Amino acid sequence: MALLEVENLRIELSTRDGTAPVIDDLSFHLDAGETLSFVGESGCGKSMTALALMGLLPERIGRIASGAIRFDGEDLTKASPARLREIRGNDISMIFQEPMTSLNPVFTIGEQIAEVLRAHQGLSRQAAWDHAVELIDAVRIPNPKGRAGDYPFQMSGGQRQRAMIAMALACKPKILIADEPTTALDVTVQAQIFDLLRDLRAQTGTSIILITHDMGAVAEMAERMIVMYAGRKAELGPVAQIINHARHPYTQGLISCVPHLHDVLTEDRPELFEVPGIVPSLRDFGRDECLFASRCAHVTDQCRSARPPEKSFEGGQIADCWHAEAM
Amino acid sequence: MTDTPLLSVENLSVRFEIKRGGWGKKSYLYAVDDVSFQVPKGQTLGIVGESGSGKTTAALAVARLVPAHQGVARLGEDDILSKEGEDLRRMRRRVQFIFQDPYSSLNPRKRVADIVREPLDSLSDKSEAEKKKIVDDLFEAVGLRPEQQRLFPHQFSGGQRQRIGIARALATQPELIICDEAVSALDVAVQAQILNLLRRLQAQFGLTYLFISHDLGVVQHMCDSIAVMYMGKIVEQADRLSLFNNPQHPYTRALLSAVPRVDHPGQPSRNRVLIPGDPPDPNNLPPGCRFASRCPIAKPDCSQREPLPQSIGTTHSAACHYVGTDALDAIGMAD
Ligand SMILES: Nc1ncnc2c1ncn2[C@@H]1O[C@H](COP(=O)(O)OP(=O)(O)OP(=O)(O)O)[C@@H](O)[C@H]1O
Ligand SMILES: Nc1ncnc2c1ncn2[C@@H]1O[C@H](COP(=O)(O)OP(=O)(O)OP(=O)(O)O)[C@@H](O)[C@H]1O
Ligand code: SF4
Ligand SMILES: [Mg+2]
Ligand SMILES: [Mg+2]
Repeated sequence: MALLEVENLRIELSTRDGTAPVIDDLSFHLDAGETLSFVGESGCGKSMTALALMGLLPERIGRIASGAIRFDGEDLTKASPARLREIRGNDISMIFQEPMTSLNPVFTIGEQIAEVLRAHQGLSRQAAWDHAVELIDAVRIPNPKGRAGDYPFQMSGGQRQRAMIAMALACKPKILIADEPTTALDVTVQAQIFDLLRDLRAQTGTSIILITHDMGAVAEMAERMIVMYAGRKAELGPVAQIINHARHPYTQGLISCVPHLHDVLTEDRPELFEVPGIVPSLRDFGRDECLFASRCAHVTDQCRSARPPEKSFEGGQIADCWHAEAM
Repeated sequence: MTDTPLLSVENLSVRFEIKRGGWGKKSYLYAVDDVSFQVPKGQTLGIVGESGSGKTTAALAVARLVPAHQGVARLGEDDILSKEGEDLRRMRRRVQFIFQDPYSSLNPRKRVADIVREPLDSLSDKSEAEKKKIVDDLFEAVGLRPEQQRLFPHQFSGGQRQRIGIARALATQPELIICDEAVSALDVAVQAQILNLLRRLQAQFGLTYLFISHDLGVVQHMCDSIAVMYMGKIVEQADRLSLFNNPQHPYTRALLSAVPRVDHPGQPSRNRVLIPGDPPDPNNLPPGCRFASRCPIAKPDCSQREPLPQSIGTTHSAACHYVGTDALDAIGMAD
């Protein structure tokens, strides 16, 4: 049994324009010790998926309409708020894009990490503080004893992000969800954060869900990936296999529209591949057709007539496209 | 170089006064410190480097949007930094800025046709009919439909808003366009549309770009030459091929090695050059090389003596004591 199994998950958002499925029939699993990456353009539902796993959907707006989220066999869609809080504290934790929004400005980072440890592991004040210093050391903030007494504003962006990771790790989670954890950071700092996440995973066996828009980050960090488009899975499978041979035109577009760094650069500079148009708006998400049709170079009448079925390929690659075999 | 540069910057410094309590002496943060570069007409110079290294400040000084402390900047033959009054107004017409955030840089209460026309109203003396024609042509050039001119900014997507920003920047027929993280806020698919558009417009109108971006893949694609900044200094400067194929400064090597690659899935970049720690406090810079505290090949000498730019061929220079020596092999780029 996988550590996490999501089955036919449907999340509806109620907005002024009516109700729309922001996540529409999403199924995937996450194994222990594995890194799974979510990619896709802005507004495709990546963060919403993460929030659903954490039981943190926006109140009164978002709700799980159907499907199951099984964590260690327990269906979280049926769990009480108290139980969800317990799971968030002990089993699944999340690091957000902007650490300042999740760190409390009026407490030192040592106090904040120690507080998590006291609440979730019942450590004494002194033991919690000592362990907090160890965690600050583990995320490679220099001079951990001294820096534990720093307030968030006294740290650089990269250090704050590391402090966030230390806090997320304080409860030794089985799953760490990282939502664009390095978007605001310099690439040199991003490389350090990624190295850190990789090492921590090797040491603790924590599974990681990495949400990103950077295909390079996916290639470097994850074993498997899910490409999201307009609330639906477009493609799922092993990272190397998808990068070498994507079966969904949207995935192909995402990979080839980016000017990737070349190992050996030549004079050659062809125009970038363009995916025309933009992501449909939320109110069009539920329609019974391929939602990528208006932007797709391979579109046929069939694509506009019904939602494409899953097409499976070897190695566990799945593409939701009518013409996936021909790609 | 055979081309005469359109933009030529020599020994430019920009400083900001640091407020200190009490009656203490005034002190300054040198955000840009003795920087020189040139951009030939019709070409693109990329500026990359750590956050806070002075990229935006250098560009703002060139556009006369922050005062320079020292140095010279020339647009063609004209001295940019000494212009005042009517001369300055004429100069502004020739240099335009495209900002990162298409949302906040457009006035939400104005129709987009008026937004695009605005620089023509304030910086040119064209007739109404001429202005109308220019606006129509600009909308077409950036790939927007004529009927969209009557809409307001909130009725556009992020990519479309960036197109409006570009149309507006083009309105006065500038020679130099400064793109400061102009595509960073856009999704990759839309980013590709805008990058292609910028290159097409460059070919069409002979535009010269100063292109600031933290995305090295984008810079590699867009730029003919690149300047790498660290703590207010240009530490390396080269033509596109030399910079990416044969980087000479340890910081440039660290930067390039940090970029995650798609071509080797499942493993971190080979030969990653780690630069742990933080840059020094810009208000209190150490002597010697500003990169010394993080440099993997630094020797005691580095924190004493400031490295000056050294040439490697005609179109490449780097400010490191160990340019072209064996010391660099320790952080080699070789496969
Ligand atoms: N609180 C909310 N109320 C209403 N709509 C929302 C809310 N949060 C998100 N949405 C909408 O839900 C959709 C999915 O949003 P989500 O945040 O999951 O996107 P994402 O894939 O994480 O995008 P990004 O890359 O920009 O972070 C979007 O259309 C968004 O506008
Ligand atoms: N108006 C100002 N007053 C005081 N200091 C400033 C001002 N503008 C910039 N600085 C400082 O000057 C330095 C250079 O800033 P600048 O914005 O040019 O960096 P940058 O390279 O563009 O960084 P980023 O990649 O984050 O945009 C920084 O230390 C910054 O804090
Ligand atoms: S001078 Fe020394 S510290 Fe500076 S870049 Fe060169 S090697 Fe590194
Ligand atoms: Mg998100
Ligand atoms: Mg800047």
